[in-house]
Amino acid sequence: MACFDELTAAQIAAGVGAGTFSAEDVARAALDAITARDKSVAAFLQVTPEAALEAARATDAARARGEKLGPLAGVPVAVKDTMNPVGTSTTCASRMLENYESPYTATCVQRLIDAGATPVGKTNMDEFAFGSSTETSAFARTNNPWDTDRVPGGSSGGSAAAVAAGEVPLSLGSDTGGSIRQPAALCGVFGMKPTYGVVSRYGVVAFGSSLDQVGPFGRTVEDVALGMNALVAGGSDPLDSTSQPCDTDFLGCLDEGVEGARVGVIPQLLNAEGLSPEVAAAVRAAADKLEAAGAEIVEVELPHMDAAIAAYYVIGPAEAFSNLARFDGVRYGYQEPGCATLAEQSSLSRAHGFGIEAKRRQMLGAYLLSSGVYDEYYFAAQKARTLITGDYRRAFERADVLLMPAAPRAAWRFGEISDPTQMYLSDVFTVPINIAGNGGISVPLGLGSDSGLPVAAQLVAPSFGDAALIRFAAALERAYGAAPVAPACAGKGGELK
Amino acid sequence: MALTTEDVRGIADYARIALEGEELEQMTAYLNDAVAMLEPILAYTADDVEPTYHPIGDLSNVMRADAPDPAHGLSLEAALGNAGASRDRSFRVPSILGDGGAA
Repeated sequence: MACFDELTAAQIAAGVGAGTFSAEDVARAALDAITARDKSVAAFLQVTPEAALEAARATDAARARGEKLGPLAGVPVAVKDTMNPVGTSTTCASRMLENYESPYTATCVQRLIDAGATPVGKTNMDEFAFGSSTETSAFARTNNPWDTDRVPGGSSGGSAAAVAAGEVPLSLGSDTGGSIRQPAALCGVFGMKPTYGVVSRYGVVAFGSSLDQVGPFGRTVEDVALGMNALVAGGSDPLDSTSQPCDTDFLGCLDEGVEGARVGVIPQLLNAEGLSPEVAAAVRAAADKLEAAGAEIVEVELPHMDAAIAAYYVIGPAEAFSNLARFDGVRYGYQEPGCATLAEQSSLSRAHGFGIEAKRRQMLGAYLLSSGVYDEYYFAAQKARTLITGDYRRAFERADVLLMPAAPRAAWRFGEISDPTQMYLSDVFTVPINIAGNGGISVPLGLGSDSGLPVAAQLVAPSFGDAALIRFAAALERAYGAAPVAPACAGKGGELK
Repeated sequence: MALTTEDVRGIADYARIALEGEELEQMTAYLNDAVAMLEPILAYTADDVEPTYHPIGDLSNVMRADAPDPAHGLSLEAALGNAGASRDRSFRVPSILGDGGAA
């Protein structure tokens, strides 16, 4: 039979349901593909064959009993190493949590399992999600499957790379300032950050509690929609007080078409400093495709975008400093041995458990929350947040969806960006959406005319209007096709017997 | 005004992150670069703009009944399972006040 990477998640679930192949066969094919491909990609920090085969066999047994299978029956999934599945090691790619074993399961992971998915492992990331290239991981360098000398983006670089390499058809990432959409762009796959609150954050190690949101990666819009349906099934999560009800049927939006719909483009973003010409050209061409499909293109303004990066790098580090204060070497995490006092133990555990970027973000957050400085920066950032949110609200009075770049450029070479503040600018098109809380999706647009590497557009929807992301992404997918498996990986291992 | 190494030493103390070797100088340079990058935010001081602290505006504290919830609570064993040191059903720590021995 074919290599399993030729199948979408939807096709796998249908095939398992119909008995064309078993969930165990699919799990073994996925594990085989990971073995063959991850030597060069290194998307995974931990592969969980026992858990995968156990879940797959349970799916097969349920089918044998004549039970109705879930919408992700037998679909191999990978989750970012911020997410707790009980019994796995959840490290956040940090020495701090190298020996941490999850005592409970995150709601987002549980909902995939409840939908019948087969969990195959945990993916690499920037340490505690601080980064845009996955280079700050303490444990591994994840390589972009399209060119292993280049970064996969970040912070959910492992989840994006695993899907681009055809190791899994579906994965989960988390996005605080672009950490799903930017690596999806660099790896040439779809990556969706829903509106803040749509997906439960329970059991996902926190970075910025007013910014973090979980979402899926896939090679087709249908698979992303399948993943979203599973993540919101069961309604709002009582274990996350910010979780909001979402009764959208994302699969139902696939074929709605865009005729008569309004697509907003923002001239200031298409002419932004640092935006590569090939990405700008690709996004303009995507607007043309949507227009050809019947949509109306309208120009809108987002006047306070210039404040977004600064607001993000106030709010994000402030919240990160607060969240990561829990890693004091007492209840969990690295504990420095031989310390005479609790204060010494905390300071040295944190000094030796955290990597340099995690220390930088926390130091910046500590400074910004210190007496005197707090009033000047933190309040101003939250006022900017009000204005940025208002910009989007006004834009959506004139447009049903916004179209813009997801990342300023295609994947760059390892080590090419060494200045941390320069690295922060690679999130310039994604962070404003987290500030406002809206949902966004990265849509692959083929290969760049200069780099020959994947380039992408980003669609942004009104708050809690995430159905529009699937609707418009599907329209672009009809024009550009599904995201292919990276050529160097396609067909390697993973034969579905 | 630029942050000095003494300022950064104080921030590190507040953040409970011991900076060692060249880290103090490197962190001072980083913080000065990062704070310079944040400068545009200082213009956002208008009195007629209310700050937005959270994308979900009407959040309030969520309380549950003060009752055991075994389905979501951790067992004592699980709660202590990731601790660096524990004793007598408790997390074990060195002296809090300063003169005690190691954990």
